[in-house]
Amino acid sequence: MNSTHKLTNPNQDEADALAKLNAILNATVDAMIIIDHTGTIELFNAAAQRMFGYSVQEVIGKNIKMLMPEPYRKEHDQYLDNYMKTNQARIIGIGREVKACKKDGEIFPIELSVGEVKESSHKQFVGIIRDISDQVQARSDAIANRERLAHVTRLSTMGEMAAGIAHEINQPLSAVSSYAQACKNLLQRENSQADAFQKQKLTDTLEKISNQALRAGEVIRRLREFVKKRNTEREYINFNDLIQDTIDLAKVDTRLLDHGIQLDLCSAPTPCLLIDQVQLQQVLFNLIRNAIDAMEDQPSAPVVIQSKWINEQYLEVSICDTGYGITEENRARLFHPFFTTKTSGMGMGLPICQSIIQSHGGELKHSAGSPQGSVFSFTLPAKPIVNNNTDEVTNNEE
Amino acid sequence: MKNKSTLFKAEQIVHIIDDDEAVLDSLSMLLDSVGVQNAIYDNAQTFLNSFSSDDISMLSGCIVLDIRMPGMSGMECQQRLEALKCPLPIIFVTGHGDVPMAVEAMKKGAIEFIQKPFREQVLLDCIQHALEVNRNNQQRTLHALEVEKRCKSLTERENEVMHRVIAGQANKVIASELNLSQRTVEIHRANVMDKMQVKSLAELVTLVVAKE
Repeated sequence: MNSTHKLTNPNQDEADALAKLNAILNATVDAMIIIDHTGTIELFNAAAQRMFGYSVQEVIGKNIKMLMPEPYRKEHDQYLDNYMKTNQARIIGIGREVKACKKDGEIFPIELSVGEVKESSHKQFVGIIRDISDQVQARSDAIANRERLAHVTRLSTMGEMAAGIAHEINQPLSAVSSYAQACKNLLQRENSQADAFQKQKLTDTLEKISNQALRAGEVIRRLREFVKKRNTEREYINFNDLIQDTIDLAKVDTRLLDHGIQLDLCSAPTPCLLIDQVQLQQVLFNLIRNAIDAMEDQPSAPVVIQSKWINEQYLEVSICDTGYGITEENRARLFHPFFTTKTSGMGMGLPICQSIIQSHGGELKHSAGSPQGSVFSFTLPAKPIVNNNTDEVTNNEE
Repeated sequence: MKNKSTLFKAEQIVHIIDDDEAVLDSLSMLLDSVGVQNAIYDNAQTFLNSFSSDDISMLSGCIVLDIRMPGMSGMECQQRLEALKCPLPIIFVTGHGDVPMAVEAMKKGAIEFIQKPFREQVLLDCIQHALEVNRNNQQRTLHALEVEKRCKSLTERENEVMHRVIAGQANKVIASELNLSQRTVEIHRANVMDKMQVKSLAELVTLVVAKE
């Protein structure tokens, strides 16, 4: 037999092809699974066995749902049904991030892409699965690191503000103390006439005392909120309120009492942003302080804060000063870590602001003020608030 | 020339200037409760605008002034008041324990520097003291004006004689230096004592030396 090539029979070709296919399937790093239209598993490659911890025998003939955690498990039959009826695929041809479930119950993030096996005897789908635990972990580590760094700089900012914090708390305390003494004096005064009048006055004053005590408490609440260790969390926030709250907080920088802030906020409609409140406060606070730093030789020049809708979905916020401005040379390095022009600066303020804004899907930019000074502005996705209530955000999301 | 009664406002008023509404209201109430007349202003400019520059030099009372305020600061206000010859003593009040600032304020003539929050009695004592200083200053000013007025009523000759008398010259010496008769000098001297409203040479000396 010297002519094997000529004598190969069709069955042998098919067997070779199958063997090649199996080799490919078992050599890939990605898990590959083939199911039929009911979700029954027909093929489960070596990578899939390693990834999920099941042997082939354990899964062949079973429903693919066993590899899914809730809520995917519940919804999967319906996905298949829908596709069979309408031919409208939600997932085919598009990779997406979902969760999968190992034999031991561990749930892990995967990137799943699905294709349809055409020209076969029955409907079949092939799923290619990549374990992205490491990527997801790296992403959340990066977020945690950013928050840790942001937290440290918030703490150090507050450290510099100790005198101002004392001032913010001493104001209401001082009022409380004066009111209380006045009440005492009123009570000690002997006057039997005008009792009703006196009673009313005392009642009013006690109310004022209580308000001032709450005011001092509010200062402390704002500070604690700002410096406490926390996980980043995003919620819909009325951005105008956030700016106001940040200005109240920023008063701990007593120079702000000399400069004042001029607000030019868009009001109709009020903007609502899905943000991490504390991080955005940090950005605003930082930019306000930079503005004051730049205007140290203009004792009563105000810091201007503007917000405006640039279209229906984006809000632009600007913090403007009329100070030194930034030279062309320094502008390029503005957002580089450890670059600073201040003697006491760490050079971390703007890089952190930039990374916070970027993580919210925006970009922090610098432009020259007119006629002088600097404008720092950022644009973030926003929604209008209906009835001034953050719960009633108009929903554009699909 | 203005007479005694119209020169200074009769009633002493404590003017409180502070940008913090609650601090302003509570201080005003505290002073009301002890029967001290007061007026409140939420910034320094409002206070300055409330009086003509003539009026401001005739105010009676004192000022309780916050140092840190938006717009015009307490220190700036102090300078403006000094330029306007405002006679009111200033008590500075601040929420910051800022030593250099306190030193500067005191150097520029502030009468007290109090840190918030303060014991009410401390503030009330300071105000009491400031009002007393104000009253004494007024009396001194009035007295000086009165002496000035008396001096101006002297003739040139009488003035010459008075200064020589104060310098301790005898009538005889004065007469020869001014080329007058001794009798004439005696008459001038009697007129001086009369117009200056004094009974003895010692009194005259005290009055004129104190004025100068």
